[in-house]
Amino acid sequence: MTIRQLSPETINRIAAGEVVERPASVVKELVENAIDAGARDIDVVTAGGGLSLIRVADDGHGMGPTDLALAVERHATSKLTDDDLFDIRTLGFRGEALPSIGSIALLTIQSRAHGTPEAHEITVARGAKSALKPTALNRGTCIEVRELFSATPARLKFMKSERAENQATTEVVRRLAMANPQVGFSLTTGERASLRLPQAPPGTDGHLARLGRIMGADFMADALHLSGEREGVRVTGFAGLPTLNRPDTAMQFLFVNGRPVRDKLLVGAVRAAYGDLIPKGRHPLLALFVDVDPPEVDVNVHPAKVEVRFRDAARVRSLIIGGLRGALDQAGHRASASGGAATLAAFAAVTGVQGASGSASSAQAWSHSNSQSWRPSRPVHAPTGFAEAMQAPLTGSFAGFDATSADTSPIAHAPAPDLLDRPLGAARAQVHATYIVAQTQNSVVIVDQHAAHERLVYERFKAMLATGSVTRQGLLIPEIVEVGEAEAEVLADHSMDLAELGLALEPFGTGAVAVREVPALLGDTDIQGLVHDLAADLLHEGASKRLRDRLEAVCSTMACHGSVRAGRRLTGPEMNALLREMEATPNSGQCNHGRPTWVELKLTDIERLFGRR
Amino acid sequence: MRLVIERGELLRALGHVTSVVERRTTIPILSNVMLKTAGASVEFKATDLEREVIEQANAEVTQPGAVTVPAHMLHDIVRKLPDGAQVELKREPDKDRLTLTSGTSRFALQALSAEDFPDLSPGEMTHSFEIGASELKRLIDKTRFAISTEETRYYLNGIYLHTAGHALRAVATDGHRLAQVEFEMPAGADGMPGIIVPRKTVNELHRLLEDTGASVQVGVSKAKVRFEIGTVTLTSKLIDGSFPDYDRVIPKNNDKELHVSNAAFKSAVDRVSTIASERGRAVKLALDADKLTLSVNNPEGGSATEEIDVGYKAAAMEIGFNARYLLDIAGQLESDDVVFKLADSGSPTVVRDSADATALYVLMPMRV
Repeated sequence: MTIRQLSPETINRIAAGEVVERPASVVKELVENAIDAGARDIDVVTAGGGLSLIRVADDGHGMGPTDLALAVERHATSKLTDDDLFDIRTLGFRGEALPSIGSIALLTIQSRAHGTPEAHEITVARGAKSALKPTALNRGTCIEVRELFSATPARLKFMKSERAENQATTEVVRRLAMANPQVGFSLTTGERASLRLPQAPPGTDGHLARLGRIMGADFMADALHLSGEREGVRVTGFAGLPTLNRPDTAMQFLFVNGRPVRDKLLVGAVRAAYGDLIPKGRHPLLALFVDVDPPEVDVNVHPAKVEVRFRDAARVRSLIIGGLRGALDQAGHRASASGGAATLAAFAAVTGVQGASGSASSAQAWSHSNSQSWRPSRPVHAPTGFAEAMQAPLTGSFAGFDATSADTSPIAHAPAPDLLDRPLGAARAQVHATYIVAQTQNSVVIVDQHAAHERLVYERFKAMLATGSVTRQGLLIPEIVEVGEAEAEVLADHSMDLAELGLALEPFGTGAVAVREVPALLGDTDIQGLVHDLAADLLHEGASKRLRDRLEAVCSTMACHGSVRAGRRLTGPEMNALLREMEATPNSGQCNHGRPTWVELKLTDIERLFGRR
Repeated sequence: MRLVIERGELLRALGHVTSVVERRTTIPILSNVMLKTAGASVEFKATDLEREVIEQANAEVTQPGAVTVPAHMLHDIVRKLPDGAQVELKREPDKDRLTLTSGTSRFALQALSAEDFPDLSPGEMTHSFEIGASELKRLIDKTRFAISTEETRYYLNGIYLHTAGHALRAVATDGHRLAQVEFEMPAGADGMPGIIVPRKTVNELHRLLEDTGASVQVGVSKAKVRFEIGTVTLTSKLIDGSFPDYDRVIPKNNDKELHVSNAAFKSAVDRVSTIASERGRAVKLALDADKLTLSVNNPEGGSATEEIDVGYKAAAMEIGFNARYLLDIAGQLESDDVVFKLADSGSPTVVRDSADATALYVLMPMRV
């Protein structure tokens, strides 16, 4: 067979195979175009899972007739100035999307350039371009794609159910909406309005509000703002508290220069930053926005641009870890507010059953609170005067408490009033010899004494580990570990860092290392396994926390044995000392296993329980 | 099967065999002990598939047979019977129960067929020799503390028993310290293969040796070892691996000699290590002319120092050791003149009784 040049239609269809994988990819390309066009409101409508119709309308700056004619040509774009692929400041740049879509579907573009009196329309039917004709349009651009994949029946067979395609489309719009809070989005899939996101006010709060709409109200309540900048790389975003976690990484979002990307860099960095704050197999929620100078990042790696390549990945990684760590440390004793909400919900459920014979109006309130979806909104701070008024009888009732109940040990003397202003308040009583009940100006705090103290002891051990050098036990017989050439090299490169943590190793021929000293804290340990794991981490993630993790695990066990157990009676001063130390210690909001060490019941929520509000 | 046995005799036999039975097993019959009549005696046998213990006891057998019953339960029952009681064990041929009657007590135990009881099939022992029980016990005593508990280096999870020159030598190491004990080679041991006796077998053997003063008949093959101690026979599989070339790590040219009274040293280490509450804390040994200063520094707990008079003529030096390792070794030494042979703060140190060349210990220092 002779070799011949493919026809432009075929070339476009091949390109379409890369760019347009499914209806969601079309939506992504079109919405990105709209964002690049400076739209303030974007309206997306799909029907039949996107196969029969996709319509994206924006109020951006639009296109004039000449631009419009050129837009559907392959490799024609307004976004790449001076043909510089290394300085990309827009979401799109390849000039492939419109001609690719046009080659496999019926594409209609209506557009009206900003400030011009008339709008124009152009149609591309499976690769055949029509002539330009005038049309009516208020502003911006409206693109309609019908009969997607009608020119590539093979691809059509690979489509999943309409529901799955709708879900993918929603996901695409959600991700773009997270990165562009100032743009309003609406998405209608089929008959259903699946997303309505108004323009968010500028600033951090507006952005968080947008993220909350997408990632859930819990995230909004429990998110920590972080921002960091180093050598031209800026990381901003929101990280959830460790106590707010889920079994998968579906709620971890990374955006690079406003572009939603998937990158294993994020996974590793998040694991390193959250480390011992989160239980094994659970993942925090977060949305991070990395802004780098466009020449520092290569987005031209993947046709759909879901992957990027950083020139200095290690710097981005360390910045992310640093930012997350900083935010988490500042959070200190803060625990998930949803913990308190869950407690209240449980309260409400129990009381709800008993209070079933209540008045009609309260019965209605109870049934409302019994429903699964019920979550108290973030409590508003009560006016101080009111809170103080509530304070007095409560204090009185505790002072007059007689200690007949064997399970409760109240503190007889009234604590200094300024304790009430502290975040964890003044200890009021210990119940079941396990929980400390404390009172603040506007809430009741319940602390799990063992979990809390365990964390404090653990943090102390960790600080010691960080300041003092780790003692190393020499090995009589050096352990030779066969790891492979690349691994041996990367281990040798990191031998200084490892020695600091107590692991002394040196290259031993090709593809092997000889371990001469191990951290004494680990005792008689599986050196082979440890070194293999370290090598794998270092090779794939550029850094490893594993050795530190192992040492910290030992600390954690020692902390567990060295802390106040449940069942120990604590005196008032002891309880207050514990609360004060928790306030001063970073990460004391969760125990070593990632469970919360305390929950807070807002006075407003308690009042709601009793129908006072 | 039907027999009558005196309680003391039964308790002794069960005491010897039951400890090999694991408390939790995945194969039910492994929780059982096998009882099998043999003439005027009954044989007790227990196994965990790695090792088995067989014991004979005198009994009045009226009807021969074999059966297996839960070992720990039977042992507990017999322990609670009054001293000197006569115990009757009876099993109807067609029933899966063993009835135990003693005085007015009566028990029925769930029995499993003796035919299904695993057999370790000891095979042919290529070498056999006799060794005094006290000598064997010393061999174990002085080395087993150094056996590694780390499962990945399985070949270190036992005592390496082998011949070296005219000696029978036992070596154990966990990579941090090493213990080597030897005595004159008994007749018949010449040419035996070097064997690694697993830790659990070592511990069983040690327990069985406690009751006896007689000599022990040892049989060795490439894959198994057998110890006959009086009426008890312990047969065990060996660790299938090669023990590292330990001789290489025993320093020969350490020139700095430290002589110290063991009693003084041991109690001093014990005292200062109180401060080192967690594992992995080092005891620092500072050596100067005829003076040893032991110190522990724990930023959390405080510090401790103790000086002892020693014999030391070489250049002053400092070296750190794991407190627990030092105590382990000091616990094995007996004489009042212990010798430390040192090179420098990063090299292995040899410790032994000055009068006794048959036991030596090597200890790797710690770096702070």
